[in-house]
Amino acid sequence: MFLNLLKDFWLLFGRMFPLPTTPGLREAGKPTRSSPVLVTCNFDLTVRKVLRTLERSGIDAWLLVAPSRGINVWCASGAGHFTADTVISILKTSGIAGRVDHRKLILPQLSGAGVNIWSIEERTGWKARFGPLRIEDLAGYLERGKHRAEPSERRVKFDFTDRLVMGTNLGFSSLVFFILPILIASIWLGSFWWKSIVLIFVLAVLNSLLVFRLPGKPGAARGLSLGIGAAALFLAVSWLVGGPPAGASFAWAGWILFVATYLGYDLPSWSPLWRADRKELLLGKRHTRIEIVEEKCIGCHLCDVVCPVGVFRRNPKTRRYFVADAGACQACGACVENCPTEAIATNFRSAVCKCPTCAVINRVNALKEERTDENESVGGDIAPESACCKGDGAASPESTTAEPAPRACDCGPSRGEHR
Amino acid sequence: MSTLVYMKILELDPARYDRRMRMATFGRIDRIKREIAAHWVEPGDRVLEIGCGTGSLAALMIERGAHVVGIDISDGMLEIARANASSADLLHLTAMEIDTLGEARFDRIVATFSLSELSPDEFDHVFDLAINALKRGGRLVIADEVRPSHRWQRALAACIRRPLAVLTFLLTRSGTRALRGLDHRISRAGLKIVHRESYLLGAFTLIVAEKESCS
Repeated sequence: MFLNLLKDFWLLFGRMFPLPTTPGLREAGKPTRSSPVLVTCNFDLTVRKVLRTLERSGIDAWLLVAPSRGINVWCASGAGHFTADTVISILKTSGIAGRVDHRKLILPQLSGAGVNIWSIEERTGWKARFGPLRIEDLAGYLERGKHRAEPSERRVKFDFTDRLVMGTNLGFSSLVFFILPILIASIWLGSFWWKSIVLIFVLAVLNSLLVFRLPGKPGAARGLSLGIGAAALFLAVSWLVGGPPAGASFAWAGWILFVATYLGYDLPSWSPLWRADRKELLLGKRHTRIEIVEEKCIGCHLCDVVCPVGVFRRNPKTRRYFVADAGACQACGACVENCPTEAIATNFRSAVCKCPTCAVINRVNALKEERTDENESVGGDIAPESACCKGDGAASPESTTAEPAPRACDCGPSRGEHR
Repeated sequence: MSTLVYMKILELDPARYDRRMRMATFGRIDRIKREIAAHWVEPGDRVLEIGCGTGSLAALMIERGAHVVGIDISDGMLEIARANASSADLLHLTAMEIDTLGEARFDRIVATFSLSELSPDEFDHVFDLAINALKRGGRLVIADEVRPSHRWQRALAACIRRPLAVLTFLLTRSGTRALRGLDHRISRAGLKIVHRESYLLGAFTLIVAEKESCS
């Protein structure tokens, strides 16, 4: 109990770090041989929340906690730690086959970025299916007994609680970035360090809570808007109450502006709605393209089922799917991974995420491109499984002619708990 | 060999993995692979390599005249292995699925630096499957990181390992764990240890265990 409280406190700040719990088979309620088999990651918070929610909704189910290296479902699947191999591993080691009579698996929708359900079926005979995005919607999903969740259950949200928690996490992770300059400046400026830390946390939470109300595009622009507001307020207050001398006030205002802009720039990597594409966040330019090759589409609706932002829509006449909202695409690659006919053409290529893993891969890819330019032969490509974001593996043949554009990845710092 | 925890970083770039692993282990890794190929594999053997990576060991064993089946879960690594060891059967398969390759099929099952990437449950499962997949009289060859047996060796290994583990973790969000209780596991399964070599203060070991030829 006390340990869980301690973990919850830590998770207010350090959600970008994995928090593993032992993988294996868990029982929710009193599952029988016909109870549903659910799969989730082994991020401690997720497992606790899933079990709690199942208990509350009175669902008896088997829960397979897959070894996703202690990372939440979405980030782990984007980073290649939650794949068909991971699910197969837990299927085999948990001995679930002997406990149930059916061979049906329900996967969390956000695992689609890494898990290929066709591969699981081919290799194990288990029929995997994507359930709703949030565990809260599982009861309704099971009750309806349909193969796919309702559209509203398939979309990522960024509600108040999520924004609050992501705000504190954003503050903490930014501290890592700012701490050294702050401490060095404090040698001369005395109390600067704690005021800066408070400032960073306050601005981070404000940025996150107000993100929908700020003017400008998501990213640095919204951070700048908040910064202008906050700096103006600060100057006005310090002029009214006669705070620090004018020079110091302006220096603080500049510091507020800088911190707020940086936080605005970093916030999308903590949100489920916007991609952490560096160029897009700074300059507002979009690189990724996605389209469905109509002749190849068989209308199986899997792309729509896995998409967390509703990019696809069905044409009632042709019964095939088309890209209805390319602007919402997060380039997670879930549709590409699961399309049975490889009908989805994209130019997703290398990761453009700010997480350390992606940074390393970007560097490697850049070096590789340089070498290719020098006509030096390069053996093989970056390992999709061990690397963050599936890189080239996610691109279909149609896209190879496309100009290499960065693939945005949101798997940087970890996101919401129950995904 | 405590430095091997940072192998996960090197795995990000399969094309240069071998060269960097060589540097990280001061060339030791090549000597171990050569020793496995020269002493523990016979011409004509059917060998299963779990986690074949870039196929460098597979190539050595093929040179020796063995028939090699290599499995790995990294497509990037497999692609390079196909160039390095073109006559091996290379499959994208998890270690948990080696039962699909058939029972009592192999004379040798070789795993270098791959079992330490498994969770304890996975390791137990794979170990049982591997024994089933071995022919009678067949041998299991494991080269991996282990927990040293002496306390002071363990402390020293931890001093080297911890900082590197943190770095690896920050860069790849993953790591490896040194194998524990390997000897116990082997003897419990009824295998006989025929050879054992320890390197670098006992932090790394090469173990060869034989499945009894008659029960």
